[in-house]
Amino acid sequence: MAAPTVKVALGWSGLGLGVRRAALRLPGLVQVRWSRYGPEYQDPQTDKEYYRKPLAQLTEEETYERELRKTQVIKAAPATKTCSVFEDPVISKFTNMMMKGGNKILARSLMTQTLEAVKRKQFEKYHAASAEEQATIERNPYTIFHQALKNCEPVIGLVPILKGGHFYQVPVPLADRRRRFLAMKWMITECREKKPRRMLMPEKLSQELLEAFYNRGPVIKRKHDMHKMAEANRALAHYRWW
Amino acid sequence: MAAPCVSCGAAASYRLFLAGRVSFAREQGLWKAAAAGLQTGTRCQILRLKHSPAVTTKKNVAALRRESYTVDFIKKQIEEFNIGKRHLANMMGEDPETFTQEDIDRAITYLFPSGLFEKRARPIMKHPEEIFPKQRAIQWGEDGRPFHFLFYTGKQSYYSLMHEAYGKVLHVEERQDQLRAKGLFSEKPKTKDPIGSRWLIKEELEEMLVEKLSDQDYAQFIRLLERLSALPCDAAEEEFVGRFRRTVTVQSKKHLIEPLQYDEQGMAFSTGRGKRKTANAEAVVHGHGSGKIEINGVDYLLYFPVTQDREQLMFPFHFLDRLGKHDVTCTVSGGGRSSQAGAIRLAVARALCSFITEDEVEWMRQEQTEA
Repeated sequence: MAAPTVKVALGWSGLGLGVRRAALRLPGLVQVRWSRYGPEYQDPQTDKEYYRKPLAQLTEEETYERELRKTQVIKAAPATKTCSVFEDPVISKFTNMMMKGGNKILARSLMTQTLEAVKRKQFEKYHAASAEEQATIERNPYTIFHQALKNCEPVIGLVPILKGGHFYQVPVPLADRRRRFLAMKWMITECREKKPRRMLMPEKLSQELLEAFYNRGPVIKRKHDMHKMAEANRALAHYRWW
Repeated sequence: MAAPCVSCGAAASYRLFLAGRVSFAREQGLWKAAAAGLQTGTRCQILRLKHSPAVTTKKNVAALRRESYTVDFIKKQIEEFNIGKRHLANMMGEDPETFTQEDIDRAITYLFPSGLFEKRARPIMKHPEEIFPKQRAIQWGEDGRPFHFLFYTGKQSYYSLMHEAYGKVLHVEERQDQLRAKGLFSEKPKTKDPIGSRWLIKEELEEMLVEKLSDQDYAQFIRLLERLSALPCDAAEEEFVGRFRRTVTVQSKKHLIEPLQYDEQGMAFSTGRGKRKTANAEAVVHGHGSGKIEINGVDYLLYFPVTQDREQLMFPFHFLDRLGKHDVTCTVSGGGRSSQAGAIRLAVARALCSFITEDEVEWMRQEQTEA
């Protein structure tokens, strides 16, 4: 069967495939308004394994998809993305959320210091513990980070719904990305606000992460409070229409 | 020498762009004169820019009505265009026989330099087919009876096309039944077309039929064509389907890959240029090396103290598994630290294209393209 409809949005005024930039570049003048990518631009695929797969192993859909991508225009990979094995999307997202005023250098250094602090604490515990306990102590800071954030994710959330002139907090299921966002947001807010003066962020954050990893601490408490509120308001669940 | 048939776009209104400040009263006077000029001549000349003011006075109501061009008018415009083209070629000192559209465009930009930002407002001289919108001739005879049997559907070309396509489908199915009855039918699987062509989009179909279509009409038509192409067709039907397919370009072909150059010692090297925001970079990648990168005469560790930037430099090499195999010398200027790193990344990726296979070029394009 011939290829199905490939939606190619032609700039119908004759400007060409989604190029929304002035071709005119006068010497000595610098453009101020940078062009935006058109809708036909696809996201880049930074995974090396995707390309290294030999052609014989590909299924029909994968071959088709590869052929299709050859004809598509693709956006440039952003400066924060590489194909490095050390790159972690969750860590990058958390770093961006910690960043203030565009100071990525500071945010990233705080992140690395936090992970280092977590590792140091766990190693101290490891060396101080007996042989049986040593098996249970997790020393990889990345697994601790992921597990802590997973433990902080709420299962159900509350949404204010206007009915009869009053706002009611209605329990609502949350999407995965919303849950991850809330976990990270709560973690960062907790560390910023409830920090004793003179304590640095990496120390506080590593403390909170370890506590969340063991399912205790203020962030977990906040998650449980959210769940209890949702349970209390379950009578209002039918206010939700989606 | 007759002035060439130049038209400023397709009968639209323009804002007068003047270098200096023009007083408001004088502007009004100019514009009123121009609006009067609109009524007198159908042909507009470049020197008289038209403007219809925001308030619709009685004078301008006639101008807002949809203009319909007669066949004779279009023919006359084409003749004038051809004569004007020859005159223009004479003026530019070129041969009138081999004067192409690109030459015309260049000549017009030279003779009528315009500083307007809107490209469509600048003077153009194109074939009348491209300027005047395609219109349909009168669809009925002198007795008022329409020519086409589907005229009263409102979309005669579309429905006749659907009728034709469905007729072909029935014909092919009938042929299949006949073969099956004779026992000569063979279940030949249809080979899947590789990506190289696409169906017409709705706008293209509308242009082809000179008729407005709805999205559902278009979808219905494409579904019918797909059904037809799924059946075993012969040459005539393939040709019919081929009329509604357009080729799709393979993106990586657009970028030409330079062959490798060799210096005095016989070592292969390649240059590439990259741009990101206001940063410009030029990189020279040597074939054999130890992974040293030198930027503006300074080592990369000193030039980029931030890890993120160094990761960007490493990105193309890491993707191609060529870390530590090439030496890079590059110069970069402009922009901030992040855009300089991005510019060098692009320059290095382009330079590396000469060292690698075409497949890898495509993979790199899919991963970290050229903006």
